Amino acid sequence: MDILVFVKRVAATQEEELRLIDDGKNIDLSKIPFKMNDWDNYAVEEAVKIVEGQGGSVTAISIGSAESDEVLRRAIAMGSKDGILMETQEAIHDPALRAQAIYNFLKKEDIKFDAIFTGVQSEDDQFAATGGILAGKMDLPYASMVIGIDAIENGYFVLRRELEGGLQERIKIKAPCILSIQSGINEPRYVSIMGIRKASKVERKTFKFNDFASRGDAIIDLIKWSYPEKKGGATMLTGEMDEICKEILEILKKKGVC
Amino acid sequence: MSYALIISEVRRGVFEERNLDSIGMAHLAGKDAFLLIPEGNYNLNNSIVNKIIKAKLEESLFLNPLIITELISKIIGTLGAPEIVIFTHSSSGIELASYLAGKMSLPIITDVSGYDRNEQIFFKSYYSDKVFGQFKKAKESPLVITVRSGSFKDHVTEKGKNAEEITVDGPSGIEERSFVEYVEEEKTGVDITKAEFLLSLGRGIGNKDEIPKFEELANLMKATISGSRPVIDKQWLPKERQVGTSGKTVKPKVYLAMGISGAFQHIAGMKDSECIIAVNKDPEAPIFQYAHYGIVADANKIRDKLKDLLQG
Ligand SMILES: Cc1cc2nc3c(=O)[nH]c(=O)nc-3n(C[C@H](O)[C@H](O)[C@H](O)COP(=O)(O)OP(=O)(O)OC[C@H]3O[C@@H](n4cnc5c(N)ncnc54)[C@H](O)[C@@H]3O)c2cc1C
Repeated sequence: MDILVFVKRVAATQEEELRLIDDGKNIDLSKIPFKMNDWDNYAVEEAVKIVEGQGGSVTAISIGSAESDEVLRRAIAMGSKDGILMETQEAIHDPALRAQAIYNFLKKEDIKFDAIFTGVQSEDDQFAATGGILAGKMDLPYASMVIGIDAIENGYFVLRRELEGGLQERIKIKAPCILSIQSGINEPRYVSIMGIRKASKVERKTFKFNDFASRGDAIIDLIKWSYPEKKGGATMLTGEMDEICKEILEILKKKGVC
Repeated sequence: MSYALIISEVRRGVFEERNLDSIGMAHLAGKDAFLLIPEGNYNLNNSIVNKIIKAKLEESLFLNPLIITELISKIIGTLGAPEIVIFTHSSSGIELASYLAGKMSLPIITDVSGYDRNEQIFFKSYYSDKVFGQFKKAKESPLVITVRSGSFKDHVTEKGKNAEEITVDGPSGIEERSFVEYVEEEKTGVDITKAEFLLSLGRGIGNKDEIPKFEELANLMKATISGSRPVIDKQWLPKERQVGTSGKTVKPKVYLAMGISGAFQHIAGMKDSECIIAVNKDPEAPIFQYAHYGIVADANKIRDKLKDLLQG
């Protein structure tokens, strides 16, 4: 089975302060570390596991700046056969534009596949939409929130989708199809620095994003960003570690739980 | 006529409460609310929408992206194009909305949690609520959105009369994608929804080796341990300990969150706790917006200090 996996390089902002600049038209990411989108890590692992079991190949594809080569190398170190970069220096804020470019690319370059995997969402824009839009455009069956692939038989995936509150549904879906993979589906393998270095020797092809779609094709516009509305927020406990902890215990006692 | 087409989410016969946010969104946008729903009996106030479109098809087919897309294009064929198509930002809502947008080449904005009616701007979260993007459609066409649960239900108003009801035939099942069965989570020993005091751990605690030290603290404080999704995904804690939309909804007397950022899927599962105390290294962590008490500090240091104090 030949699987294409879309991977994205995202800013790891969890522990960082995000600063809006240019009147909210941009976010200053200059001091923020980048990494592979968490969900894509699970998607690559799942694809590699399938191919290890039954043969075929995994190709990692990324849309982004030249630095996105990092995440392609990581995907190769995890077991992908090769990598493709659709290079653009501009950030793309419309998932429909992203899907349109992918659609045009796959058609024009005549790329063959049995399945396309994406992560459920990317950590930066949290759209969770590119896989679904692409499936709609390509007229392929689609499933998101895939939390377990139980079997691949007679051209069908039997898989579980995660719903709310711990409930799952089992469905059958025909290949070729597009699946968006949920975190926790597997345990992504450890990748060593050595592994990533070795991956540098594997071929990665680069294409120009603009040859397949242009920014003017976006059908939604990002006007600007803003900080969240403050909701009043918490009473902050400050001071020495010792005092803070005593205060915490005091609160617990007052609430009658400790 | 300009109307909002609301795709309701019903699961195992229940009209999900988050549908009210979709209806509230339609009201806030000043559109007539047309609710699409599979045929059945639900606990639904008929006077909060203008029209109810009952689809003659089973729930599992209704929630199938390939099928609902066909149903929606049929409805548009009869009623004309809506201004906006509204889904809930849930597992199925996201799946259906994105597929529909792709199939019909419609603009889409997901996880919408705010709306500026004058400017017709939609607000959506970036980086787990650290900032919000303000979006507009850039094409004259119906817009597809998914709305975050809890965001718009306060805008629901009664229309003063019952909705008009119409029935449409649904497409039949297809072999490309079919529902097999529901799979319930295994029931095990602990039930975090029963605990009065939860010590909840997030990715910020660093690694699995820290867990036993938190367990010691939990024993000293008589707290039950729970966690955010990444902690469960990485198998630092078992699945039954997960708090959030895809885990459990909890309302303990005290929820002590350590190293949890406060993504909405997590917040939705614990925001009704009586008292929330959050420890996070980042002063801008969104969880401080929901907490009663906040501490900007290293969770592991707070843990060790609390242990010291409790051990006397
Ligand atoms: C469909 C779907 C369903 C989901 N369901 C759930 C769900 O049910 N439950 C859930 O929790 N999530 C869920 N998520 C994931 C959610 O979007 C977030 O990714 C997740 O909640 C983040 O977990 P976290 O806060 O532990 O990690 P992060 O967001 O990585 O945050 C870690 C925090 O720790 C802080 N930190 C770092 N080091 C320290 C330190 N030494 N001391 C103190 N603080 C520190 C950081 O500042 C940061 O705020 C779901 C996502 C999707 C797409």
